[in-house]
Amino acid sequence: MRPPRRPWLWTALATLITAAFLLPVYWMVKTGLTRPDRIQTPDPQWAPTPLTGENYSTALGYEGLTRALFNSLVISCGVVALTLLLGVPLAYALARIRMRGSGTMVLALLVAQLPPAIVLAAPLFILERRAGLTDTYVGLIAADTTLTLPFAVIVLRPVLRGVAPELEEAALVDGCGLPGVLLRVVLPLVVPGVVATAGLSFLIGWGEFLFGLTLAEGPEVQPVTVLLNSFVGQHGTSWGALMATATLVSIPVVCVFAVFQRFIVGGLTAGSVRG
Amino acid sequence: MRQPLSLSARRSRTGYLFCLPGLAFLALFLAYPLLYNVWTSVHDVDLGQLLGGAERFNGLDNYRAVAGDPAFWHSVRLSLVFTLASLVLQFTIGFALALLFARPFPLGGLLRSLLLVAWLLPPVVSGTLFRWMLDGESGAYNALFQAVGLSALSHDWLTDPSTSMAGVVFANVWVGVPFNMLLLLVGLHTIDPELHEAAAIDGANAWQRFRHLTLPLMRPVSVTVLLLGLLYTFKVFDLVFVMTGGGPVDATRVLSLYVYEVFFTFFRFGQGAAAGLLLLVVPLLAGAWYVRRLRHEEEAPAGGAR
Repeated sequence: MRPPRRPWLWTALATLITAAFLLPVYWMVKTGLTRPDRIQTPDPQWAPTPLTGENYSTALGYEGLTRALFNSLVISCGVVALTLLLGVPLAYALARIRMRGSGTMVLALLVAQLPPAIVLAAPLFILERRAGLTDTYVGLIAADTTLTLPFAVIVLRPVLRGVAPELEEAALVDGCGLPGVLLRVVLPLVVPGVVATAGLSFLIGWGEFLFGLTLAEGPEVQPVTVLLNSFVGQHGTSWGALMATATLVSIPVVCVFAVFQRFIVGGLTAGSVRG
Repeated sequence: MRQPLSLSARRSRTGYLFCLPGLAFLALFLAYPLLYNVWTSVHDVDLGQLLGGAERFNGLDNYRAVAGDPAFWHSVRLSLVFTLASLVLQFTIGFALALLFARPFPLGGLLRSLLLVAWLLPPVVSGTLFRWMLDGESGAYNALFQAVGLSALSHDWLTDPSTSMAGVVFANVWVGVPFNMLLLLVGLHTIDPELHEAAAIDGANAWQRFRHLTLPLMRPVSVTVLLLGLLYTFKVFDLVFVMTGGGPVDATRVLSLYVYEVFFTFFRFGQGAAAGLLLLVVPLLAGAWYVRRLRHEEEAPAGGAR
């Protein structure tokens, strides 16, 4: 489109809309920083004066919060590792190697993203229980990876296809095996794409709730999303501490997004529009 | 003696080896559980059997029980309302925002990225957040209504059965708008700006250009966005579960929450599995249609906007 005549007017309008849209996010941060006795009033303050860290110390004093944050970190990192370990070779084979059935496999990976999580959580609950995997990191990481792996392969395939085949062929002629080619030649060239996939997988693992709710009973492995939800039941009216917790859970998300913003936006649109 | 494998045969063998771990994982943790669900759905399974009893084959009894449960049909209706209302609203607002952000202006990219934060927040966080925003006594939205003289609208949205669905849809639209905007924006950028210029020279005003140029050219992208929206919205569990838990008095118990309740609260595994498979019908139909469309597009790549 042509550059509009008064661009700053559009900036003003867009800023206003963005600010109104993001009011809930501001409110979350604000409530977390407001003195508890000033939160639940019929006439709320729009700015947190005086600032206080009281809600954060209350929240961190709640039983299990630090442990749950740690659990979520372990689970998300595990999800990233497992997704890349399984997904990169799979995506590479589907991108580069002529194989019978690769079309079917791509289709299967698209279909794999369709089932609602609850349809999978139900049988996984029975099966993981029998296999002794409930209440373990492994059980949760595996469950979460069923969400990330199909997605990761669909996003990575076009990325890996973008590498010039001549480079791989030269390495193959030099006597490098296919795994060597992938590790030493191809991967270094697609670091941004792989990193974006890792970032997205991390976000999915970090935000996952249903598997955490159904496959982990004890606080030893329970992710922070499940704990936040149970806080709402236990400390229903301590909105200051609840919003402080919600902010703590959001910080990694915003950080990951800020770092990988460009790649994530590209990966999302590539993954969903073109399938 | 065996013939040495040709280079390409060796390559494709390595290819299968590369696929093996990922596919084996998905077979074990995705395909097998889903098939196991089918098995459970035709057996009489409850907590007792799970802990070590024999499950009894009971044919379609579970499906009959689900189909005969008024709560199931109530959930179907709620899911339809939730999905349709969310889709229409998030698509319309997303489209309007995409039109705004399609213009180049200073800070456009930054503001657009900021909007995406709403979509990326874990659903549990946004659910908790909107519980607080929509709180009857000191929620921000009610305070806002009062501040602008609309105190008639100030209300305890989530605890009143007649408005809780509206509250949940509101939160879900908030989450969905940025994603819709982003995809529609990609679509808008594929429209050749010269078309607009030519139409403007021919005397078409802004509305006419939108109505007769932008809208028809955006059709393929719009269908994709709506379809993806349908798939995502129909699945929604976390947000509703955290905001209302399905209540008050089942006013927001959409299908995914119904399945959860049957399975994890009442421990009627057979029935829960049957209901879960019925929940799969909509995404599978929509997905099949989507894949067909994609193939169709690939065969005819000159189909205007991608």
